Amino acid sequence: MSNTSQTQTKAEPTQQPQQEQKPPVLEEDDEFEDFPVEDWPQEESEQAGANGTENHLWEESWDDDDAAEDFSKQLKEELKKVEASH
Amino acid sequence: MESVFDDFKEGQRLGSGPYLAAALTPVASPRCPSRLQSFYYFSNAAHISQDLRHSLFHIGGVKIPKQEQTWWTDVFTAYWKAVGEIVRIEERSSRASWAKVFDAWKEVANILNRAYSSSIFQAWTIPCLYVVGKYLRVFAIKADTELSSQDDVGFDRFQEDVTAEFDKSAKLEEAARVINRMFTLCLTDRAPIDESRKWGIYNTINLLFKTYFKLNSVGLSKSLLRALDASSADLPDLESYPKSHIVTFKYYVGVIHFLDENYTEAEEHLTYAWKLCHRNAMRNKELILMYLVPCHIVTTHTLPSKHLLAQFPRLEKLFRPLCNCIRKGDLVGFDAAMSAGEEEFVKRRIYLPLERGRDIALRNLFRKVFIAGGFEEPKEGQPPIRRTRIPVGEFAAALRIGTHADAKSRVDIDEVECLLSNLIYKGLMKGYIARERGMVVLSKGGAFPGTGV
Repeated sequence: MSNTSQTQTKAEPTQQPQQEQKPPVLEEDDEFEDFPVEDWPQEESEQAGANGTENHLWEESWDDDDAAEDFSKQLKEELKKVEASH
Repeated sequence: MESVFDDFKEGQRLGSGPYLAAALTPVASPRCPSRLQSFYYFSNAAHISQDLRHSLFHIGGVKIPKQEQTWWTDVFTAYWKAVGEIVRIEERSSRASWAKVFDAWKEVANILNRAYSSSIFQAWTIPCLYVVGKYLRVFAIKADTELSSQDDVGFDRFQEDVTAEFDKSAKLEEAARVINRMFTLCLTDRAPIDESRKWGIYNTINLLFKTYFKLNSVGLSKSLLRALDASSADLPDLESYPKSHIVTFKYYVGVIHFLDENYTEAEEHLTYAWKLCHRNAMRNKELILMYLVPCHIVTTHTLPSKHLLAQFPRLEKLFRPLCNCIRKGDLVGFDAAMSAGEEEFVKRRIYLPLERGRDIALRNLFRKVFIAGGFEEPKEGQPPIRRTRIPVGEFAAALRIGTHADAKSRVDIDEVECLLSNLIYKGLMKGYIARERGMVVLSKGGAFPGTGV
């Protein structure tokens, strides 16, 4: 883009009104909002670096040691009932 | 943002699209609260064209070719009329209406489109299209709301629903056609890439996505994607566009795939949007996750972390009860959470993928049986191996726990076998059922893939 640097540094004027004037009528639940700036450096992105991890996003483990013991007991109880009913 | 003329001249002097676009932004600013009024009252209908020519080009203006001057004068004349309609709204004039604002604004958009299609305006000025397109949508929605509220008063409410539905968004549909023209003007520009309107495709396509989604015509968005795809060879890399264009684009493409139940593709696009999204744009991050979380549940059978949801109270409220039940293998709780959230899930169109979470809840329940089974007698020098032959009765017992069965209710073994084979078929469990022995024989290497056992 021939004027990339201008776009970045001069992004302010058009963007200001979007922040200031938010008529509630236009605010839709599901609509993606305009960003207050057109572009930003990679460091300001959610994943800043190329090698960033997303470990914190998803639950890694299904294990729940405290509950496991309880379940084991509960299972034995229920097993008796299942066996009794057959 | 200063006065309309200052913004225009500054834009022309610097060759800055955003400054130029600021001149065509139909709102006041804190620094210039009466910006629209002073622009409107600086002239009158008889002299506007002549006055504009003078103020835009003769007082301290930049040298611009005569023909281009004429086009800019036309654009700003139409703009002046539209601003007049907005000023009337602000002044609560009895002649004011959003429909008039929309019609006048549409004229601005049409002249601008014509100037671009004749290649009078250079590509660096395309932020003008963005701002005019953006407000065309805004004014169309206001005009449609205004018209439908008038209808409610004036007409029989029992008139045919179909026509009412159609008329309800008549202005927005007009807007969609004009914005579509803007997109096409950008997409089909053949100029060398440095001077091409192709830099405007994502901004204008995003405007169209928003419009089509609002019109409930997601299908039209798909034909846009096909058009984009057809010219993909001539387009610059996605990375060379401003991030705001790309994040918005990827979000909508993700949601389009999501609504088609293509969760794998949806997840790719949404993940892209998530990673590139501005860290502080919390509302947009929340929207991305709204669809990314259900995708992830379907494709990888994993749940959002506590830390992730904690940052978004609305998502926490929406997903947390469901996630807790999936995690615990609580089937009754899962069903209750699904029906408690049904209205919201349906509204957000995430009900279907979330429903698939029940399989994961069941998988987790059965996994607990496996864990509770402990280990085989260790052989000398060998690492301990979990008990992989488990009586079907144990899974039946687990199902009683998961469904909160009372003492009297029986669990049907056939049903348990059916659920087990279903999970095996879906790859959530690895093994087979030895029916004659009433046993489930699980795989020694990863009985429950992706869960660490």
